[in-house]
Formats: sequence, C-alpha cells, structure tokens
Amino acid sequence: MSTNTLATCLIWLAALFVTAVFVCLLADIISQGLTGLSWSYLIEPPQDAGRAGGIGSIIVSTGLILLVAIATSAPLGLATAILLTEFSTQKSTFAQFVERSLDVLSGIPSIIFGLFGNAFFCIYLGLGFSILSGGLTLACMALPILIRTATEGLRAVPNDYRLSAAALSMTRTSALIHLLVPAATPALVAGLMLGIGRAGAETAALIFTSGYVDRMPDSVMDSGRALSVHIYDLSMNVAGGDAKANSAALVLIILLFVINSVSSFLANHWMHKRIIHL
Amino acid sequence: MKKLGIITALLIIIVFAWFFLPMSANNASPKGSLEKLVLTGSSTVAPLASEIGKRFEALHPNVRVDVQTGGSSRGVNDARTGLANIGMASRALKVKESDLLSFTIALDGISIITHQANPVTALDRQQIIAIYTGKILNWKDVGGNDAPITVVNKSEGHSTLELFLHHFGLKNTDVKAHVVIGDNQQGIKTVAGNPNAIGYVSIGAAEYAASHDIAIKLLPLGGITASVANVLNHSFPLSRPLNLVTREAPTGTAKAFIDFARSVQVNDLIEAQYFVPVAH
Repeated sequence: MSTNTLATCLIWLAALFVTAVFVCLLADIISQGLTGLSWSYLIEPPQDAGRAGGIGSIIVSTGLILLVAIATSAPLGLATAILLTEFSTQKSTFAQFVERSLDVLSGIPSIIFGLFGNAFFCIYLGLGFSILSGGLTLACMALPILIRTATEGLRAVPNDYRLSAAALSMTRTSALIHLLVPAATPALVAGLMLGIGRAGAETAALIFTSGYVDRMPDSVMDSGRALSVHIYDLSMNVAGGDAKANSAALVLIILLFVINSVSSFLANHWMHKRIIHL
Repeated sequence: MKKLGIITALLIIIVFAWFFLPMSANNASPKGSLEKLVLTGSSTVAPLASEIGKRFEALHPNVRVDVQTGGSSRGVNDARTGLANIGMASRALKVKESDLLSFTIALDGISIITHQANPVTALDRQQIIAIYTGKILNWKDVGGNDAPITVVNKSEGHSTLELFLHHFGLKNTDVKAHVVIGDNQQGIKTVAGNPNAIGYVSIGAAEYAASHDIAIKLLPLGGITASVANVLNHSFPLSRPLNLVTREAPTGTAKAFIDFARSVQVNDLIEAQYFVPVAH
C-alpha cells in the first residue's frame, strides 16, 4: 500500500514537474513578449538592428525556408520510408545500412549541418547565402526524423492490408497509393511535423546558410534571416534587443503551434475520409 | 514502384521550377541590373553594417548590401578569398594579415564600471586582475567599504570578454565570476542594482547610462578617464577599431560603401549601436 502510494506520488510529481517547466517557459515568454506584439510588429520590416520596427520580412523568410525544406524532404523521406518498409526486408544489409546511417545522422549537432550546408550548398553548388541553401540544409536535418516516423507508421499498418490487396490482385503501387500510405498518413504527418518543428527552431544550421540579411526576400536565391536567427541576434548580440527578442520568440512558438494543429487536423480529416469508406 | 519514383521525381522538378521561376522573372525585369555587395565577418560589426547598408541602399537603389556574420577571422578570410566583397573585423589586422587593407569605421572601448555609491575612484591593473581572479574579495582591500565584491563577467563568445581578457593577460578559466552576463545593457543593470558589484561594458553604452541617471560610475584605466573622447584620441588603453577589410584597394560600389561608412552621414547609426564614430 505505502509503496504503491509513494510510486503514484512520484509519477504524479514527475508529470507535474514536466508540465510546470513547459508552463513556466510559456508564461515567461508570453508575459515578456505579449506587450510588444501588434499587427504592425508582424508586418513591418525591422529597424535599428531589430530594436525597433517589426519582423514582417523575417516571417516571410522563415516561411520560405520551411517551404523549401518541406517540399524537398517530404517526397524524399516518403520514398525512402516506402523503400525501407515495402521493398526491402528489415534484415537486409542495405536496409540496415540505411537505418544505421539515419540514426547517426539524427544525432549530429545542428552546427555541423550548418557548416556542411555552408560548404556544400552555399559554396560548392554556388547557391550562396540564400533561402534555398537554408531550406535544403534544414531538409537534410529533418530527413532522419521524418524517415524514422514514416517507417514506423508504414510498419504499423497491419499485414492483412497487404495480403488482402495481393488477394485482390492489386499491384503493389496501387496498394501503396490507395491503402498503405493513407493508412499511415497520421504517422507521416507527425514525422513531417517533428522534422519541421526541429528545423523551424534551428539557429546554428541557418546562420551560415540562409544568412543574416533582414530585408524582404525577392526570391529564394536571396539571403533571408530566419526567426530563430533573429531571436538569437537580438538576445545575444544587440544591446537592448531583449524585449523584441521575446516578442519574436512568442511569434515563433505561435507559428509552430499553428502549423502543428493545422497539420494534425488535416491528417485526421483526410484519414477518416479515405479509410472508413474502404 | 516505377510509377511512384516517376511521380516523386516530377514533384521535385515541379517544386524546384516553381521556386526558380520567380528568380528568373526578376532577372528579366529592370531589377536585373541589381548589384550585390556582400559583407561577412564580425558579429559585433554586423548589426551596424546592416544599418549602414540599409541607408546606403536608400541612396543607391540598384545596390543590395548583404551582411553575413561569422566572426572577425571569417571576415578576414572571406575578404582574402574573395567570397565577400568586404570583410568585417572588430579588431586591428594582425601581422600575418598585412596583405589586406583595413578601413576603420568606428571605435569601441571597454570601461570598468562600479556602482555610483562605491567610494573607490580608481583601481590599478594589479588590483583589477586580483579582483577578477578572486584574490581580493572585499572592497576594503582596495580602499573601499567593508563589503564583499560581486564580480560581473561576460559570457563566452562576446568580443568584449576577449578584449578584456587579452588586455589583462587573463584566461576565462582564471576568472572567478559571481554573475555572468550577456550584453552591455544587462551588465549596466546588474551593476546599477548592486552597490558592491564591478563589471565591464562598452564605453558608449556606459557613458550614455551614467549621463541618464543610472547609478553606475566609469573607472579610469591606467590614469586615463574612460570616455568616448579618450577612445577617439586613442589615449584610452582598452579599445579596438571596428574595421572593414578588403583584398585590394576598393573600387566602384565597394569604395562608395566604405567611404559612406566612414562619413559623418552614418554617425547617428554608429552611436545608436554604442560605438564611437571616427568621422567629424
């Protein structure tokens, strides 16, 4: 009885502690950042090294960087996951090699991705400091998580689905498109969100790839400052930038929260539509 | 699988085409004559250079000034390899870098600050080293009140820290700090709120704060008053130049930008970043 109570208390305490950390962090950022938040802050360009003005151009740059990252990592990640689950056995040397390298890749610190992105995309491929370089670097970073979750999602689809499809003499491709991928959609979206969440909060990988320029970008070949780089610069490099840094941090959190909710809503909606009528 | 591969490849191509199209459209328009000036280097200079760049762009609509950070050494390196048109360095060039040209756009000095109510009016080099290495722990040992000294140090990665350590011949691991702070404003607030604290911050920021009724005091260094004026005439020992660096004598737009950055037209921008303008 007493051991039981103790264990229950400890578990509750642990859960409370974790929640408290999150609530404290959120409360701190909201209390410090909310006063500086306004419509004009969201659309105006920064002035005086970010101490005045808004973050309009920075939000646009961040959005473009994430778009490039999603557009390149999603098809690549999905294709790799399908290859790993549907077209090779878990025991094959090739699959094991790919999975092992993904594990290593997901443990690599982001600054390494930044330096790699700078050397490969910016200098070797000649893309320069640009939104494209930044987005491609983030895609490299997001891929391991994306492929991992997508693989788990596809493996979780019951084998009955595959057998039934084979029994109905569906081709593997159409089984994939009509059956397996829709069934795994929530996991795929979750993987995409985890990857993009990691990527969207990235500073080290972006400061040397998409760069520091806070002007409104004309195209993806322009350098554009991401929100996280802006927050880092304001809080660490610009005297008197703390208030604006907190507002920008709040915007970044809201942005990630919105992306997250919308995508999980879409995933649920989509899945119901496709699975229930089967 | 074949179909899926083709679909994936098509998707990637479409996405890329979609992203590249606006760029080529821009190149075809009159904007195609845009000239890009790339600056890389010191994170201390970068915010100032960005602001100067914006004003320069307003005067020269066909020029885009792109400022990237990465540290002074990177600025020197990129200027040498030609990766950047202009490098930024928050220090003087070293002997090994004499193949490059440097143009000072502003000066930065560091002042030791204490609380206004602290009776100590000066500390010599040995006393400052002893305080920062924890050998002197009480203000009464340097002629002040009987009170423990609160040592305020800068966090790793700040050039102010490097300059301070270099000047006093210290290593950061030698410093016994009670408070570690980030930027200048935080240092000023920390010292103003603690009568027994000692810290060091950028001179422009300290002078501005002291003249705006914030309870701090700038201590002289080596008998020289800590002031923007003494940084400007090079008599204050703890100061450094903020430089633009080029490989060859600048021409065209690069020259125009460097001349602009050294003119009186940007003095307000330099002061807004708490640095000391050189042009008068």
